[in-house]
Amino acid sequence: MSYSDQTRLSYEAILQDIEEKGLYKNERIICDPQGAEVKVEFPAGSEQKQLINMCSNNYLGLSSHPEVIKAAHEALDHRGYGLSSVRFICGTQDIHKELEARLSTFLGTEDTILFSSCFDANAAVFEALLDADDIMISDRLVHASIIDGMRLAKAQHDTYKHSDMKHLRKKLEMYQDRPRKIIITDGVFSMDGDIAKLDEIVQLAEEFDAMVFVDDSHATGFMGKSGRGVHELCGAIGKIDLISTTFGKALGGASGGCISGRKELIDLLRQRARPYLFSNTLAPTITMATMKVLDILEASTERRDKLENNMKWWRKAMAEAGFILVEGDSPIVPIMFYDAKLAQAFSKDLYQEGVFAVGFFFPVVAQGQARIRTQLSAAHDLEHLERALAAFIKIGKKHDILGKNKEELLKITQ
Amino acid sequence: MEEKLIEFIRDEFLDEPDTELTESTKLISSGMIDSFSLVSLQTFIEKEFGKRIPAPRITAESFDTVKQMIEVIKQF
Repeated sequence: MSYSDQTRLSYEAILQDIEEKGLYKNERIICDPQGAEVKVEFPAGSEQKQLINMCSNNYLGLSSHPEVIKAAHEALDHRGYGLSSVRFICGTQDIHKELEARLSTFLGTEDTILFSSCFDANAAVFEALLDADDIMISDRLVHASIIDGMRLAKAQHDTYKHSDMKHLRKKLEMYQDRPRKIIITDGVFSMDGDIAKLDEIVQLAEEFDAMVFVDDSHATGFMGKSGRGVHELCGAIGKIDLISTTFGKALGGASGGCISGRKELIDLLRQRARPYLFSNTLAPTITMATMKVLDILEASTERRDKLENNMKWWRKAMAEAGFILVEGDSPIVPIMFYDAKLAQAFSKDLYQEGVFAVGFFFPVVAQGQARIRTQLSAAHDLEHLERALAAFIKIGKKHDILGKNKEELLKITQ
Repeated sequence: MEEKLIEFIRDEFLDEPDTELTESTKLISSGMIDSFSLVSLQTFIEKEFGKRIPAPRITAESFDTVKQMIEVIKQF
């Protein structure tokens, strides 16, 4: 046996350290389909509770939509369960090509390549497309998958202050002699829910001959008038060179993702992207269900409109109730507590009151920026939001935090 | 050198202008600077002091404080 006691103890010590620092993640067990309300068992083995779900990425309420489920069933019947292959051997079906074309049309791009996840897509892209002399300039708050992708690349990397266009300009000036430059940003930033200034980024990119990469995972399907994403919202359709996005959030929520953009870049990714070349093709169920999602979104903006209305209602009601919100126009609405223990206690109390919302604290967010991240969904009806609001207010009164500013909140917790 | 480095770090990385910053302040291990952003320090050092520090010498450990940076720079 190679797994000696000493090896086991070394891992136990690491886990204990994580637990002592209060960073151990316990999974909450959901016992029914994803939706506005879910049955949750937490901790494992305890009684199940019916909760209003305020923390899923099910932005459009399509994760358990009957038509999406039906499309997945049809895929099983007509294209099977799995392909047992990567794309370039025997894993490309007609439906994969069809979905790639549909996504290109939806996003307003030249071509699209599918990946098993958007994490894979982001991990693949920079290493495949950039050489050692090139430069990647990223916003400081981009998603972890992009950071991992940049680490894998040979190209040099620098950052600009979050959404600071003056700083980005300075960096572009600094690196203007590089053969290829790429500006890298999220469309909607997942922790603060704020939106990238894509119009200004595109202008700078044109001025300095840089490419633009946007991860629109928290935007595809609902940002912009017809839900194309942040590039639609910012009037930049056709101007973004690479868009990565996921099918694991608004677009049905199972898994899978893609990169969509300039046709030469997509073609080169097909030749070189390691997660594309060495991991399995997208399952037929997800491929066909994602096409059904696109059918639904192209037929009507009803869902993204409802989401927008829910978001506006929730932001206004929570601010009026006296909570501190991170301002924004996305369905990610962080409620600020600053102190990690307070955020954790509040989340626990919400659970008892029938609301499922999770606290985030260092190292997921910066030190002293603890929050509960609420996320709106088109699956929420007004009745859900009213109940969730009542619970927030009840717990807010219990902790005496309503109407308090940041300094007053910090005093309470000291 | 110390003053110039501190001024650059304050301007480049800190959002709060009043944050205390000395030659011994832990920059990377404290989370003040992302180790990814070290390349901008490398570029600044080359431009300002004319010293090209090879990337392998710029690590989260060797560049954790301004004092440590100066020690590395002096070797080139």
